[in-house]
Amino acid sequence: MAFTDVTVVVPIDFSSESDFAIRSGLSIAGDPRRMHLVHVLVPLDTISPGVLFGEVTNQTRTDAVKKNMAELTRKHGASEAVEVVLFGDPGMEIADYARNIKADLIVIPSHGYHGLKRFVLGSVAERVIRHAECSVLVLRRKDAE
Amino acid sequence: MSQLIRAHRCRGAALVAVLAMLARVDFAAAQQVSGNRAGLVTVIAQTDSGGLFDRINEALKPVDGIFGKVNDYVESVVFFPIPMGSGQSVPAGVLWLVAAAVFLTFRMGFINLRGFAHAVRVTAGRYDVASAAGEVTHFQALTAALSATVGLGNIAGVAVAVGIGGPGATFWMIVAGFLGMSSKFTECTLGQMYRKVRPDGRIMGGAMYYLTDGLRDIGLGPLGRVLGILFAVLCVGGSFAGGNAFQVNQSMEAVGQTLGFVREYPWIYGLAMSVLTGIVIIGGIRRIASTAERIVPLMCGIYVLACFVILLKNWARIPDAASAILDGAFSFEAGWGAFLGVLVQGFKRAAFSNEAGVGSAAIAHSAARTSYPVREGFVSLLEPFVDTVVVCTMTALVIVITGAWDYRNPEMSAELKAAYTLKPDGSAASVQGAILTSVAMDQQVPYFRYVLAIATALFAYSTMISWSYYGERCWAFLFGDRHSMSYKVIFLAFTFLGSVISAPQVMNFGDLMIFGMAIPNVLGLFLLSGKVRLALTDYLSRLHSGELDREVAQQGP
Repeated sequence: MAFTDVTVVVPIDFSSESDFAIRSGLSIAGDPRRMHLVHVLVPLDTISPGVLFGEVTNQTRTDAVKKNMAELTRKHGASEAVEVVLFGDPGMEIADYARNIKADLIVIPSHGYHGLKRFVLGSVAERVIRHAECSVLVLRRKDAE
Repeated sequence: MSQLIRAHRCRGAALVAVLAMLARVDFAAAQQVSGNRAGLVTVIAQTDSGGLFDRINEALKPVDGIFGKVNDYVESVVFFPIPMGSGQSVPAGVLWLVAAAVFLTFRMGFINLRGFAHAVRVTAGRYDVASAAGEVTHFQALTAALSATVGLGNIAGVAVAVGIGGPGATFWMIVAGFLGMSSKFTECTLGQMYRKVRPDGRIMGGAMYYLTDGLRDIGLGPLGRVLGILFAVLCVGGSFAGGNAFQVNQSMEAVGQTLGFVREYPWIYGLAMSVLTGIVIIGGIRRIASTAERIVPLMCGIYVLACFVILLKNWARIPDAASAILDGAFSFEAGWGAFLGVLVQGFKRAAFSNEAGVGSAAIAHSAARTSYPVREGFVSLLEPFVDTVVVCTMTALVIVITGAWDYRNPEMSAELKAAYTLKPDGSAASVQGAILTSVAMDQQVPYFRYVLAIATALFAYSTMISWSYYGERCWAFLFGDRHSMSYKVIFLAFTFLGSVISAPQVMNFGDLMIFGMAIPNVLGLFLLSGKVRLALTDYLSRLHSGELDREVAQQGP
């Protein structure tokens, strides 16, 4: 398939690899409006002081992430990109989201862990590949561990 | 998403199954003795002799022995005896904390005394700035940290200190509380300095971060990494031990003073506590935890008030008690060894209760909303003050004034004596602290054991919830944010174990983990004290010039 006029989902975690992913996603999508930036948050805990005192809610977290996303897209000249915040297991959420919006491609950076770290942390990219129904482009880090 | 919902449903179903199982047992037992008007619990006890409940009791007995072996091994490291002359020694972990508290008190120029007034003003909200990064106000951060520190250590631990060390231990406990304020100031300032703000505005901070990043800043990266990981591992252990099993075990003793079945089938209490904690930390029912957090300050107030009433009732004995405390603290008649023994008891139980130098509270204080790390350091120094200088001292005074410490006195009531286990030479080997406090207070204020049973159960519960947060943060530091479920399951297993293992073993285990945490943390505090000192000097010069007050006036709350 030719990568033109496609809808691209770019999961980001605000690490340095996210910049590369956004640049790649943008160049493939062509138009920032066809790029969906997705950040998946762990569900809200029940025991931290912020949550117990009602100061931290999923709304405050979403607002904070959106603010950071806006800064990031502005930096890349892609302010019109779609910004999405989801909650739950990142691999599953990303794949589900791509399916729902009928995305053509997911562009995901990989941390490239090996050995024990990979065993413990798993890989979001792996889960996305397993569950996604569209194509997935995994960006390999040059200095992968 | 659907998977998550499924997972939640499964957990919910498991919880319901456990409850249903319990309910069935109760129901069956009640049916067998229909007409018996005694409580349901007595019914179970009567019908179950030789039955399932007793078999469970039997099956759980060897657990204690296994625990003891593990304890002995860790003890040889954490409490390695440091020789102090004349064949006497002090456990390494205790000496390490005392050295840190004394050093930091001098290094920060007696911040524990001269910073007090400013600490109160900051906590009262005078310097709250809503736009600063962080999750909670200064006051909320202090409340959260206090709910982890004010627990059974203040009620049971203190009774153990005075029971074994005598009235003199009270003096050293208060001294430890004052000195601990400096350690707490230093560690919580560092917690703020090296906290991380996540993209969603959440804060990650604590000793594991300042050890890792702080030591890297001063060119000790590899050491910082090792200490950070060591701290996190021990903090996870501490959250299972002092912050969990110990709380269950000791509150169970106090509750057992009022409910016979808890004494007979302790594991039922452990199971109930596991279920109640599980509902919050796994089931996600926030309301229970926030309700408990709100009731605890009230309970704390009732407790201190009751102690105060007891002191007033016995006001004529106060001078005698005061001289017993001072004589005991500086008594060299029984030799250098006895003096050290009293000192160690006082410091040990104070440190266990207020956690100054242990590094745990930095996790909670790092969440406070402020742009000046030192400012939260000020707030945190109130913690050992409230915990030790006020609450622990109250317990100690009650034990001293009521004579509950004087197990050699032939006129002591049998009920009080029962709290002591004596060595062949007639000295105390161990004390059941919660029972001692409960009986001593009940003899002064009728029916107070019932109030204390409720209070201790609540203290234990809120301390456990708070410590599960500390432990979970350290687990997340080690294994990432998304693996907290395995932690929570192990935590609940220890909640249950706390009811099965004997009191001295649980207390030992708690001590070892808490003092263990102090090993990497205090080393970090020594090495990073220069940075804190610089920040403090800068902050104080801004404060005295009026700059900070002007800043708040401009920014508003």
